[in-house]
Amino acid sequence: MSIVSNLRADPKRELWFAWYSTVAFYSLYSVVFFGLTRTQPPGKPWLEPEQTVEWFAGRQDGLLVGFALIFVLGGWSATAIALIAYSIRRMSVSRAFAYSYLVLYLIAAVPGFLFICVAMTVGAMRPERSPEAQQWLYDLGFLSFSGTMGVFLVGSLIWMTAILLDKNRVFPRWFGYLNLCNALTEVVIAPSWIFQRGVLAWDGVIAWWIDVAVFGTYTGVFIYLLREVIVRDDFGRGPLPDAPPGRPRRWHPLAKVVR
Amino acid sequence: MATATDTTDTSPDERVPGETGMWFFVLFESLIFTSYFCVYLYFRTQDEGAFLEAQSALRLPLGIVDTIVLLTSSWAIARSVQEARAGRPAAARRLAFVTIGLGAAFSALKLVEWAHLIGDGHTFTSSDFMQHYFFLTGMHAVHLLIGLVALGILVHQLADPHRRSQETIETCATYWHTVDLYWVLIFAVLYIVR
Amino acid sequence: MATTSTETTTSTSSRLRTFVAWLLLVAVTVIYLGIDHSADDGGTLVASTAVTVSAVLLALVKVRIIMRELMDVRHAPPFLRRLTDLLVAVIGVSLLATYFVGQAIA
Repeated sequence: MSIVSNLRADPKRELWFAWYSTVAFYSLYSVVFFGLTRTQPPGKPWLEPEQTVEWFAGRQDGLLVGFALIFVLGGWSATAIALIAYSIRRMSVSRAFAYSYLVLYLIAAVPGFLFICVAMTVGAMRPERSPEAQQWLYDLGFLSFSGTMGVFLVGSLIWMTAILLDKNRVFPRWFGYLNLCNALTEVVIAPSWIFQRGVLAWDGVIAWWIDVAVFGTYTGVFIYLLREVIVRDDFGRGPLPDAPPGRPRRWHPLAKVVR
Repeated sequence: MATATDTTDTSPDERVPGETGMWFFVLFESLIFTSYFCVYLYFRTQDEGAFLEAQSALRLPLGIVDTIVLLTSSWAIARSVQEARAGRPAAARRLAFVTIGLGAAFSALKLVEWAHLIGDGHTFTSSDFMQHYFFLTGMHAVHLLIGLVALGILVHQLADPHRRSQETIETCATYWHTVDLYWVLIFAVLYIVR
Repeated sequence: MATTSTETTTSTSSRLRTFVAWLLLVAVTVIYLGIDHSADDGGTLVASTAVTVSAVLLALVKVRIIMRELMDVRHAPPFLRRLTDLLVAVIGVSLLATYFVGQAIA
């Protein structure tokens, strides 16, 4: 069987596309933010204007190239959100949960994700800009990134509630509680604008490092669990069946379609 | 005293109390709190003098009372679960309400303590110690509020025989115990550690 | 779910046990008063490794009692009993190690 006929025949092809896109997007995100632009871990808060000019100068090419990639491919993040919303719709709870989650994350993506990309690109674009203006962009970029955590927090709580009320066993209940852990760590970042230094500043041990450790674990877990949901999905309305034993570990373009 | 047949408890042996998933939460969240405590202890050792000075603003008797209130609330909810298991939902409900009352009392005591500290000039930003103090007690307060929701679910379960689920009751109780557990650690680390 | 007729006798022992656990926890809490005052120089707080270590150890004792007696881990399968004991050990080791390493660095 050819790849094309397999693709046409597999009813889950869109779901698998969305899942692989999710993996690709988060990988891109990590490479761009941590490697290319080095905006994560974040720069120190409350820098003087001259220090922010230095910060931009030290990362100029990385910022321009990295965020250019995000501007082109950033829309890919929609697949991750859509897949999660799909999994919530598959639950026995009201569709309102899925729609709220979708709306929340779509709204949050602009300030929580794109602002920093725009602000930092603008800063890198013209290094000769006045230091005060560079400082303004620096503050705007990082503050919008951390200050919008409250929105994601509510999203986690929506997903948690849906999972705990769900009778279709789409996700294991411990993952519902993991959403609570994630939401609680996001509480700590919102007031980061109060602190110039220390553990609760936007680059602080608690507000950033521990939070990212928890968030990273959480993201890895839900990417794995979304895969399980796709494998188990029967496109019905009732409880999700258990995964069939001995199933192929990966969707392979040349594997026989199992349905 | 005990009779000859009084060798076992009503709880069957080898059962996970409540949902296994909730125990996952207990373990994971405990590790997160432990990391917060480690951060506090580390920064404390780097600036002992300043931390000691700010710490003297805390009043130990109040901390002891706080601890005893929450320990009693844990006792009450444990008893409530026992009564529910023994088929006495009315007694279980009374004890659950006692737990809620004690949780509310703790919150009131905390608010009073925060008000006093802030009144004396010790705020979130006045010193590193106070930053950690308000952060840890604030996070604990958030956990407590969620705990009150869990207790509400527990009471709701007990009210109606048709929707009552011992597993849900035990799960909510397990969550409430973490509120006590984390306070025991916070009290030792913030109030006593020198 | 049938309720047993032995409930009146069996719950007495578990009631008593729960109460004793609470009593023990309160007693350990009150011990803190003594520990706290032992190191202080008449109102001024003084740094003390002994106080720190005993504070943490006593907290661990309380945590274990709460888990075993009040959270009913006593009647849980072995994996949960071991896991919670491991948690107590991890908490203790982490706190004390951080404290001593921090002291060494300072």
